[in-house]
Amino acid sequence: MKRTVLALVAAVVLGLAFAQPSGTLTIAQQQDPQSWDPIDTFYLAWGMIGSSIFDGLVHRGLDMKIGPGLATSWEWTDASNTRLRFHLRKGVTFQDGEPFNAAAVKFTFDRLLGPEGAKGPQQANYTSIDHVEVVDDYTVDFVMKSPDPVIITKLAGYGAMIVPPKYVTDNPPETFNKMPIGTGPFKVTEYVPDDHLTLVANPDYWGGAPKVAKVIFRFIPEPSTRVAELQAGRADIVQGIPISLADTVSKTAGVKLDPVGSPTVNALRFNFCKAPTDQLKVREAIAHAVDSQGIIDSILQGYGIPIASFQSSMSLGYDPNLKSYSYDPELSKKLLKEAGIAAGTPIGIDFIGTDATFREVAQAVASELQAVGLKPTLATHETNTYYNDLVPKNTVGNLYYSGWGGWTLDFDNTAYLLYHTKQFWNPCYSNAKLDALLEQERGTYDQAKRAVILQQIAQIEHDDLIDLPLYQSKNLWGVADRVQGFVAPADDRLDLTTVSVGN
Amino acid sequence: MLRYLIRRLFQSIFVLIGITLFVSFTIRLSGDPAVAMFQGASAPTAEQLATIRKALGTDRPFLTQYASFLGGLLHGDLGTSFRSGQPVAEEVAHRFPATLSLALAALAISLVLAVPLGVLAARRHGSLSDLAIRVFSLLGLSFPNFWLGIMLILIFAVRVRWFPPSGYAGPASLVLPSLTLGLILASTTTRLVRSSLLDVLGEQYVTTARAKGITEQRVLYRHALRTALIPVITFVGLQFGALLGGVVIVEQVFAWPGLGSLALNAISFRDYPMLQGTITVLAIFIAAINLLVDLSYALLDPRIRYS
Repeated sequence: MKRTVLALVAAVVLGLAFAQPSGTLTIAQQQDPQSWDPIDTFYLAWGMIGSSIFDGLVHRGLDMKIGPGLATSWEWTDASNTRLRFHLRKGVTFQDGEPFNAAAVKFTFDRLLGPEGAKGPQQANYTSIDHVEVVDDYTVDFVMKSPDPVIITKLAGYGAMIVPPKYVTDNPPETFNKMPIGTGPFKVTEYVPDDHLTLVANPDYWGGAPKVAKVIFRFIPEPSTRVAELQAGRADIVQGIPISLADTVSKTAGVKLDPVGSPTVNALRFNFCKAPTDQLKVREAIAHAVDSQGIIDSILQGYGIPIASFQSSMSLGYDPNLKSYSYDPELSKKLLKEAGIAAGTPIGIDFIGTDATFREVAQAVASELQAVGLKPTLATHETNTYYNDLVPKNTVGNLYYSGWGGWTLDFDNTAYLLYHTKQFWNPCYSNAKLDALLEQERGTYDQAKRAVILQQIAQIEHDDLIDLPLYQSKNLWGVADRVQGFVAPADDRLDLTTVSVGN
Repeated sequence: MLRYLIRRLFQSIFVLIGITLFVSFTIRLSGDPAVAMFQGASAPTAEQLATIRKALGTDRPFLTQYASFLGGLLHGDLGTSFRSGQPVAEEVAHRFPATLSLALAALAISLVLAVPLGVLAARRHGSLSDLAIRVFSLLGLSFPNFWLGIMLILIFAVRVRWFPPSGYAGPASLVLPSLTLGLILASTTTRLVRSSLLDVLGEQYVTTARAKGITEQRVLYRHALRTALIPVITFVGLQFGALLGGVVIVEQVFAWPGLGSLALNAISFRDYPMLQGTITVLAIFIAAINLLVDLSYALLDPRIRYS
């Protein structure tokens, strides 16, 4: 009897010991976002780490579905959808011991929507919220300024991560930028810019303590070096493996390649203000000349997914029945002839020069356009100049690259910003019917109805050939065999709570 | 000597103003940091952009912005980074040791290789070892630094695992990046040491020294090499600037958190204060190195005096 009791005690003690977080996980990622304040950033590199430090009221899981986060439930309090009520999780504390409550939620959104938030890029996503009211310690109301059917999804976004009022107020802004505190599963203990950031497990995490004790994120801009770190056994998880190194990783012992479909889609947009792509027939001819499946098979080595509109299958508004234009060079030549396009007509293709994969894609597209008698010229640009200057001012060629993540996983984000008349990145295209549909879907909270309208928008995009969707990207991760429980996230927001490391 | 020093320092101030003016002006031509902040992920309205520009201070006329930068510089304040919100002077000070240690280690490697190899090649002029040394230096000249860096990683970090592939953690991590820069610099320096020594060895005073019966060792090291090193030091001094340029690429390849990666990120984010601050510090540094180079001539050649 005594022995049994002793054995039981030993088992319990050992069990407890094993339940403690243990081991160190090293992750190599490309970029250091430099500021950890959620309202300052749009970098995916922030999301990779920020999601382990902070929580939002709602949480987007690895299945990309929205579920409870720091709020356990929510509902509209009125039929006209002007007041959105959240019931908050009790007994949650920030990593510095500060309590999480309704005041913290109000503080977070006052800061985001006020002068502090106006200095950063995230405020622009939350302008539909007028203000937040505290109902009681664990209940808040979001009072809406304008209808926003994507609001729940947005509250899982970077800008809506809940921050600790006392820590933020008591310290200068650069302290929070460097040593952020949230309610998340891991706590920052060290940050050396452009070198590494160290997290340790938060044993009091409301969702249960993580399995791994320490996570070191290393910032390594060069992909070959990241892969070398994986091969040398010094990194356990490596993000952003280029297609050219996929084979190397697959063949490395003790390591596996983990491809995951990302929400990022890649397309060539048509310039409607430049001849000859102002003609539908020419756009159709170009669409039939390009073999996007061939591009996926050869250049992307299969690490791409075909798409027929400028959204991934994860997006609300995705229509599986929509088919892309067939690859038919003969039909393309016929259409060009009908449109009266002479052989050797120049077609300018503009894209970002640093993207080695897309450079090859653009070259393939150019050779296919040449094959149907056009004369393509390729022009490359630097990322910021391209998106912030050339595209908004429409100083690009007939076809120009666009890569779009659509962080809300809702076609509204892409379609409104790229197709609605006179939007920042749409200096040229205008379609009254499409504008009306966009306004309509923004005005209703009925998601089924919105999905139908968004599919109609995708149909117009397809029929009018606003752009030529090429493929949905697959993100390639390299993972050491000693890592268990890791799921490569589609949106780059790592969930490390279930990850553990062996020897 | 003192008058010379004051004159040189005075010149350096004008050089600095020229460089910072040029850098501040050109980065402002390359794009708006307020728009860059959105990363092409969300479309800002004109009003939002105006608020951000006001907060960053980029809504003011260029000369006002530049004047406030110069004013701050006099107090050692290089402004606040647009991206990280940290004081620029602090970040630059944190990064400076990383870049300096890399540059100095590369310089040391290059000299340790170049001087003996150059001397050997000059002494055995026309021999097989001279040919081998010239081939080595030609190879070094033809390697782009990022390629050489990746090759060194693959051999010494992945295959034999003697050194870490990247990072800034202890002396071991310094080996591969400094070797990448040092080998390339050594190749040009070796050629220069060789040709400079060959020239000097042909001079009359060397012949005289030999005629006086002085040993060849003494002729070489006591008489010829000192003179031969003057152009080498000029070259190395000038190369220091180029070396810091090479550091930008090598820091990227080896994830070395120095001024090179800081400047590169500042450019891509249009972080005006950070770029201005980094370039100013590098410019002061290069100006100081050049001054030291000029002063060192007097130590090597007693005929050179500054007044």
